Amino acid sequence: MTGRELAEVPFACMRGDATRPAWVVIRPEFDPCARPFHTITDEQWGVAWETPMRDVIAQMQAAFHAGARRIVIVVPTTAMSGGSRFAHVAAPAEGVRLLVKSAARQWGHHGITVNAVALSPDGFLDEPDLAGPTSLAPAALPTTDASALIEFLCSDASGDVTGQTIVVDGGVWM
Amino acid sequence: MSGRLDGRVAIVTGAGQGVGEGIARRLAAEGAHVVVAARRAETGEPVAASIVAAGGSAVCIETDVAERASVEVCVRDTVECHGALHVMVHNAFTGAIGHRLEDTVVERHWEAMSRTAVWGSFYCAQAAYPHLVAAGAQGRLILVTSPSGVEGSANIPLYSSVKAAQRAMAKSLAREWGHHGITANCIAPVAGSPALVSAFERNPALREAIEARTPLGRVGHITDDIGSVALFLASDDAGYVTGQTIVCDGGSFLGL
Repeated sequence: MTGRELAEVPFACMRGDATRPAWVVIRPEFDPCARPFHTITDEQWGVAWETPMRDVIAQMQAAFHAGARRIVIVVPTTAMSGGSRFAHVAAPAEGVRLLVKSAARQWGHHGITVNAVALSPDGFLDEPDLAGPTSLAPAALPTTDASALIEFLCSDASGDVTGQTIVVDGGVWM
Repeated sequence: MSGRLDGRVAIVTGAGQGVGEGIARRLAAEGAHVVVAARRAETGEPVAASIVAAGGSAVCIETDVAERASVEVCVRDTVECHGALHVMVHNAFTGAIGHRLEDTVVERHWEAMSRTAVWGSFYCAQAAYPHLVAAGAQGRLILVTSPSGVEGSANIPLYSSVKAAQRAMAKSLAREWGHHGITANCIAPVAGSPALVSAFERNPALREAIEARTPLGRVGHITDDIGSVALFLASDDAGYVTGQTIVCDGGSFLGL
């Protein structure tokens, strides 16, 4: 499942049953358009930076109060690599990734785990090539699918994993 | 003796105290014309006067980094006065108050932190951009972030996020502006700022805890330790360093 496919499922999904803890997967909406930094207006920056941050905070709070024990947030690897003409994506994506770490530290004693899955920018950005190479190396794997990883992070089996970012992009960003 | 920044012009936001003051003093000591950009003249003016008294070049310009117009006036006046801007250091920040992510007070804390750290970086970088382009290989953007922006924090989670966003901005602008010769980097300091010193006075055990976890066994000095890293990044010596975060904390964080 790519970042774009994840965007087509409900913004947050919560499931819980006798065998699995309640879980939430959050795939924030980032501004997909390439924008030279010096041309970005205050309005564009406000939407690009504030909206995903506020949305994710609200979603995480809702998950906490609803009793979710597994929270997984999906971001582009642009969070870690930065991106030419995509500072307005990298900033909130990395801000979200740090929310994951901080929430993991705060909520661990409640039995809540919080992790991030980082996917290829291809699933988030309209013109990802403009961002510049994520790595000088080509992809190590021909295809990627984060479904099994997300399922693991939503399961009881991942109860000792928290605050982590796991990259599923075919081995581009290492 | 000539300085490493002779003839360069630098703006340092939040330079009325703490880390910003230390950076301003260090850059000025190496010959830079420094603009002490402070929200309140009563803090910025004494720093600028002290730099001048020590033989340096400095003026204070009242600047609120949370307001675009204020940042643009600061940059405009700097360039009108000195004819150029080579180094933009955005350090100013307010609002790091402990909170829990699940509480409704988060919104109130978010506004102050987002405005000064992230919107402030946005305004400073945009306003400085044409002048950094003109400065070419001497153009420097330096954002002051925090080790918390790398490792997260159980006490101040939103602070960690806005500081992380600054790191991502620096990486992005390193990529985007590199062909002009401009470098964009971050410093993540742990230093004896007034806020930290005040916290030590309220809680002496905090100093002991920080010193105990720090391999170098002490808290950083705003000028000698942190200002010197800013000087390196601002100087020609760092012309091939961009998109990086230099964690300057005595070695307490080793996970980058």
